[in-house]
Amino acid sequence: MHRDIFPAYHARSCHYNLLFPMKADTAIIARAVTKRYGSLTALDSFDLEVERGTIFALLGPNGAGKTTLIRILTTLMRPTSGEAFVSGLNTARQGREIRRQIGVVPQENSLDRYLTARENLELHARLHTMEPKKYRRRIDELLELFGLAGRQHDFPDTFSGGMQRRLVVARALIHEPMVLFLDEPTTGLDPQSRRAVWDYIRSIAGRMTIFLTTHYLEEAEQLCERIAIMDHGRLITIGSSAELKAQLTGGATYEIEFADRAELFAEALRRMSCVGGLEIADRVVTVKLERWECLAEVVSALNGAELRRISLRERTLEEVFISLTGKGVRE
Amino acid sequence: MNLRGAIAIWRRDMLVLRRSIFSELVAVVAYPLTIYLAFGIGMQGYIGPVDGVSYGLFIAPGLITMTAVNAAYNESVWSLWFHRKVQFTIESYRVTPISVSEIVIAKILSGFSHGLVKGLAVALVIFAITPFRFPLTSLVAYLAFLIPGSALFSCAGVISGTLMDKPETIGRVEAVLIMPLIFMSGLFFPLSSYPPAVASLVRLLPTTALFEGARQTLVNGSFSIPFSASLYLFAAAAFAAALLIFRSKLAE
Ligand SMILES: Nc1ncnc2c1ncn2[C@@H]1O[C@H](COP(=O)(O)OP(=O)(O)OP(=O)(O)O)[C@@H](O)[C@H]1O
Ligand SMILES: [Mg+2]
Repeated sequence: MHRDIFPAYHARSCHYNLLFPMKADTAIIARAVTKRYGSLTALDSFDLEVERGTIFALLGPNGAGKTTLIRILTTLMRPTSGEAFVSGLNTARQGREIRRQIGVVPQENSLDRYLTARENLELHARLHTMEPKKYRRRIDELLELFGLAGRQHDFPDTFSGGMQRRLVVARALIHEPMVLFLDEPTTGLDPQSRRAVWDYIRSIAGRMTIFLTTHYLEEAEQLCERIAIMDHGRLITIGSSAELKAQLTGGATYEIEFADRAELFAEALRRMSCVGGLEIADRVVTVKLERWECLAEVVSALNGAELRRISLRERTLEEVFISLTGKGVRE
Repeated sequence: MNLRGAIAIWRRDMLVLRRSIFSELVAVVAYPLTIYLAFGIGMQGYIGPVDGVSYGLFIAPGLITMTAVNAAYNESVWSLWFHRKVQFTIESYRVTPISVSEIVIAKILSGFSHGLVKGLAVALVIFAITPFRFPLTSLVAYLAFLIPGSALFSCAGVISGTLMDKPETIGRVEAVLIMPLIFMSGLFFPLSSYPPAVASLVRLLPTTALFEGARQTLVNGSFSIPFSASLYLFAAAAFAAALLIFRSKLAE
């Protein structure tokens, strides 16, 4: 079914290439996308490119505009201004062609509680104009994969939150989309279910472009090659997890564990000019160094101490996130 | 336009209807039947013949028609509201390749089907418990009113369910608009009861075309072309309006 639309798609993407030079392997493009709800600007001249076949995470605090962007990319909503493309197709003019190629897991489950799990999948297969012979097999596969085969004839309101979420993901995959949008796919799932969803996402990566939003930084770090952080409708930064962490300014933080006399050495360290901050908890002293070159000075100051461990504390994505988006809670 | 998507959604609605058909029918038949027992039988002796026929016969076509159009309206209005605001299923349909028009056509078709099924159920019950027998031609001609009537009310339901976000508003519109329209257009009394000036205004209402036209067909065996034509026009206009309103609401 996807195949027969490819010729048209290629023709169009060439056409757009003339107007907007874009790489052929770009799955998603947002150009100066702005969305206003009355006086509130949910997206503010937002630019983004996502490479084909990658797993991409969009992070941002509540109200940052993540869902708004997904709604625009999935043709549910028109931007106030700007343009967006999915698989080289314009969201403003080629909605139907885009919807043939995308799968969407919305933030709110939108299951039909009057249909069984299987019937939910069947309805969507028909909406994607799949033939019964083909979708029956596909549905069996997906139910098996997501651990729902045993409950396929039950209604989704008898399911746990995790099972409902898995059913929504299965529904989005029924027509083997090229681009999968997941708006907080694992919110409310237990660690087992979350990992099951991750495993599946990993297993289909490469063939499919995956665009997900999440509040779990570990999820973004584990799954995604590229991560963007946004706030107040604007893109703040984009890069791999390592690149984002490298952006954190300031020196490094080390933990030093003493066998005894921790306070004594802590005092000595505190007086050193290159120690930016120091905390002591039991026998562990945490020192923040202005520059990593200070490490040698610190080590010599520890001469005579009975040391158990010196370790560099890893930067976490959460630190990056908080440093970029602030500590305040969003209303 | 390709209607595969519309048919898929309509089939979904019919599957759900099938699952609960028995309890739905019991509920839907109970109301007109109570009215028939109270007025058509209980009050008949006090009221006497109306327009030359017994009161029971006079109101029977209206009760069938009322059940059908109420069912069509209710199904459409609640289904639209529920799938839009509660279950978000409409949104899930909208990320598939089907068009917004197909969704609204499906919903109109479903409301219409509910109207037809429930109207016919009440008709069967009324025919079973009353001595009235209508010629086959009258019954077929009656369908020429019942079909556009159910379509009209289904479209009206889709419009209300699209525009109204709160369930209490839906209830109010039904109380101040739909029920009065049905009752005013001669369900329980002949239009000749109105002062002539008012009667000529009431004749312009789509519900009058429906109820009067349906009664004339069944009771007198006469087919009113003006009523029938006006009903089809109203239904077509409501269909266009439903399509437009639904599309513009979803474009917001
Ligand atoms: N239909 C709407 N009408 C008015 N304002 C809206 C509407 N939808 C979203 N907003 C506002 O737009 C902003 C962005 O909302 P959006 O849902 O895109 O955020 P988000 O990043 O997905 O947040 P969350 O993490 O909580 O899901 C918020 O301030 C929100 O209040
Ligand atoms: Mg959101």
